[in-house]
Amino acid sequence: MNARLSYALRRLILTVPVLIATSIFVFLLIRLVPGDPVRSMLGIRATPENIATVRSQLGLDHPLPQQYWDWIRGVLHGDLGQDFISHEKITSLLKVSLPITLELTVLAMLLAVGVGVPVGVLVAARTGWARKLSGGFVIGAISIPDFWLGLMLVLLLTSVLNLLPPSGWVSFTEDPVQNIRYMILPVVTLATGQTAYILRTTRAAMLGTLSEPYIAFLRAKGLRERSIVGVHALRNASGPIITVTGIQFGVLLGGAIVIENLFALPGVGRLIVTAISERNYVVVQAGVLTVACLFIVVNLITDIIHGLLDPRVEEAVSA
Amino acid sequence: MIPNQAGPAGPVGPVGPVGPVGAVGEAVVMPRDERRTLTERFGGREGLAGWTIVFVLIAVAILAPVLAPHSPEAIDGNRILAAPSLAHPFGSDDLGRDVLSRVLYAFRVSLGIAVGSVALAMVVGLPIGVLAGYAGGWSDLVLMRLIDLLLSFPALLLAISLIAILGPGSLVALLAIAIIYVPIMARVVRSSVLVVRGQPYVRGARARGASHLSVIRGHVLPNAIGPALVQASVLMAFAIVIEAALSFLGLGSQPPTPELGLMLADGNNYLAQAPWVEIFPGLGIAISVLAFNLIGDGLRRSFDPNGLTQ
Amino acid sequence: MSALVEFRDVGVDYARRGGIVSAVQNVSLTLEENETFGLVGESGCGKTTLSMALMGLLPASARVTGQLMFRGEDLFAMSESEHRRLRGDEVSMVFQDPATSLDATFGIGYQVAETVRAHRQVSRRESKARALELLREVGIPAAESRYSDPPHRLSGGMRQRVVMAAALANDPSLLLADEPTTALDVTIQAQVLDLLAALQRKHGTTILLIAHDLGVVAQICDRVGVMYAGQLVEVAPVGELFAAPRHPYTRALLDALPSRGRRGRALRVIGGQVPDLSHPPAGCRFADRCPHRMDVCATVPPLATSGAERQIACWLDPATRATAGLAPLPDSPTPNPAVPVGDPS
Repeated sequence: MNARLSYALRRLILTVPVLIATSIFVFLLIRLVPGDPVRSMLGIRATPENIATVRSQLGLDHPLPQQYWDWIRGVLHGDLGQDFISHEKITSLLKVSLPITLELTVLAMLLAVGVGVPVGVLVAARTGWARKLSGGFVIGAISIPDFWLGLMLVLLLTSVLNLLPPSGWVSFTEDPVQNIRYMILPVVTLATGQTAYILRTTRAAMLGTLSEPYIAFLRAKGLRERSIVGVHALRNASGPIITVTGIQFGVLLGGAIVIENLFALPGVGRLIVTAISERNYVVVQAGVLTVACLFIVVNLITDIIHGLLDPRVEEAVSA
Repeated sequence: MIPNQAGPAGPVGPVGPVGPVGAVGEAVVMPRDERRTLTERFGGREGLAGWTIVFVLIAVAILAPVLAPHSPEAIDGNRILAAPSLAHPFGSDDLGRDVLSRVLYAFRVSLGIAVGSVALAMVVGLPIGVLAGYAGGWSDLVLMRLIDLLLSFPALLLAISLIAILGPGSLVALLAIAIIYVPIMARVVRSSVLVVRGQPYVRGARARGASHLSVIRGHVLPNAIGPALVQASVLMAFAIVIEAALSFLGLGSQPPTPELGLMLADGNNYLAQAPWVEIFPGLGIAISVLAFNLIGDGLRRSFDPNGLTQ
Repeated sequence: MSALVEFRDVGVDYARRGGIVSAVQNVSLTLEENETFGLVGESGCGKTTLSMALMGLLPASARVTGQLMFRGEDLFAMSESEHRRLRGDEVSMVFQDPATSLDATFGIGYQVAETVRAHRQVSRRESKARALELLREVGIPAAESRYSDPPHRLSGGMRQRVVMAAALANDPSLLLADEPTTALDVTIQAQVLDLLAALQRKHGTTILLIAHDLGVVAQICDRVGVMYAGQLVEVAPVGELFAAPRHPYTRALLDALPSRGRRGRALRVIGGQVPDLSHPPAGCRFADRCPHRMDVCATVPPLATSGAERQIACWLDPATRATAGLAPLPDSPTPNPAVPVGDPS
């Protein structure tokens, strides 16, 4: 257990430089806007006084290192600045939108893993129609763009069958049932492609694992096929599955930006896209930082789980 | 050996962020078997289907002015959201424009951006990957850290951030997609270079006095190009989706350009009323993505003797 | 001694894309209780197929004929779940490569204990205690502290000991050992063989040792069977086989061994190639490479019993000929096969 704990700690420390680099990139986002970001934020009718005020509020009149220092200090104290359009604090905007994005992505990932892994395990040893069917689903689900799938689901389930609300959002605390009803379509839309990737990876990894000699030895020991496949083979195949799940979470976070806009869910993705169209750079910056950090945390978690399940990983790290 | 573990410093692991392209991360030398049939060369029946569709789509894109029954931008007040008919097989959109003609023209944008972004990523990523993999040492370390960093961003988020900086547009979308692809490409090339570099024949060539340049040309590049092409076909598929998604969000191509994602965004408001405005452009995206995925699967079969990805 | 395993005219075919591969043909053999029986032959001669048939782990493409009796029950007639209950309990197996026989993601102790749990209704604590006992018995030092170690922290020899502990967990009456030392260093090989022999003596387990190395067989086996291209050609007590081989293939095998007596002479190799088993020759499969080939060799020679403990399938041999109702050859090229049955050492 000790080796595993120290592996987790080492992996945690390795995220620090990534976080710093990410913060620098996000910090530079506004500063890289060609021309004057403040002028393009405020529009052509902005008075020079206005521009000067905003510029000093943003600290853009200081040298870059000091700007970064001021900004990152604020971020670390939970101060992401102020929305220049609604004049709200950005943290309070995120307090509303982040849970929505998390609910959407986590539910979609759970659905994708919950369907993709068991089905992948089941079809791994099969040939014939089960393999053809799952192969067809995989290539189809990977090729259909999620937002178009979402549109088609809306067309079918709301316009034709009238089962679900097409778009919108109700807070979970306000009305849990309605919240789930609004979430079903976005979650299914987002999860379909991910299910395909996870299924494909699981199937391939299981197929590789089941042909290993230690599986033959487990059979020779008289273990039940159920525990050979479900305990040993799955644990050995878990490395690629977890790695891909982690990677797919990044894809999922990107996809959530589109899906939130499609289904009018007021999540971080919607916040970012709306802010871009309004040239609301400070909000864009905060949104991008939030999603990027989320992805880094997910990567950290998947790596640690992987290390806990496969003792060879932690040794490879310490070597 | 540890199967497919994520390296300690590379949270993304050996696979690009756009999908579990699995075996692509590992370099595999192409088997040179002359006896393979033409179908097998194209990656089996599915691969052949993929290539066929892509060639048809390219032909459609080039011949769009000839094939399109109407101008893609001709507005017709009498045909607003008109249902499909003989003269307008895909119906008309909210401005009375012919959906079929717009879809045909839209392939120019989709394929153009896909090909352009992947080509750009290859032109930049290939040398980076070769340099990192062949030179090793500090340049490898620095380049790989940068690549890991870029890959620690969700791809679409990175593209959107770049568009936030540069402003929306088709060319910016192309550039943004290319930028998120460069690290993926470089990584794949680097790992195949690493495999080749350790081969006895490469060390032998060096020992015989071959220059680095001729070793790279003669041994490294021919072996790195295969996995890079598999990756390219998969990235091509994703480029089409990403570009359509960006345009759908209003961050890619701008109206009145006939573009598939943009058409979907336009039609979203009239979904129940005129579903054809949504169905056909979406099918166009799905078919072109499917074609590139089929090509990728076929190529992977040739480059992946372990059959890990099948 | 009584029979534990009886192969009765066992044949195994594999259905392959190119047709049918005849992996094992007409094998009749009895394994006695408490003996160590060595099965030798080149790779692909069917010895592994025979052991897989015993384990009930033949691939789905295999078709079996004949009967395979274990304690009076036909294994070929058993259902998969009946066979599974036998595996790891009454019949156990040690594989060739200890590096790949163990699951790298589980501790070694767990992998021994789970064999116990697969067959006995015991608590985790009991199975762990039993596993520790087994690990100590096979000579894992500090078994207690190594219980949770993953296999890759152990050396090859130690890993093979763990594999043996897992195989012996339920005190099987039959242990199959498929080339158990081939993947190990020479010095370790001897240790593992000694351990195997010691365990055999202690528990009275019947061991079927599969090997291509006659030296390994000579070290611990009581009797030896020689297989060639799916046919069992000769069975003899180990001493007699080395002293007086009767099948031309056995003789060729022994001639190919380096030995002190023939120092300085080139080792003899067997000319020709193993036949393609998807199109096996009719009759004796060694005939194409046999220096004494005759017309009658186109018929399969029956495995004949000769004396108390020997079996032979060769048309040159009087015993085989007598079984088929033929007179002995007048100018038999073999030295007089009537070697007195002596002390096998």
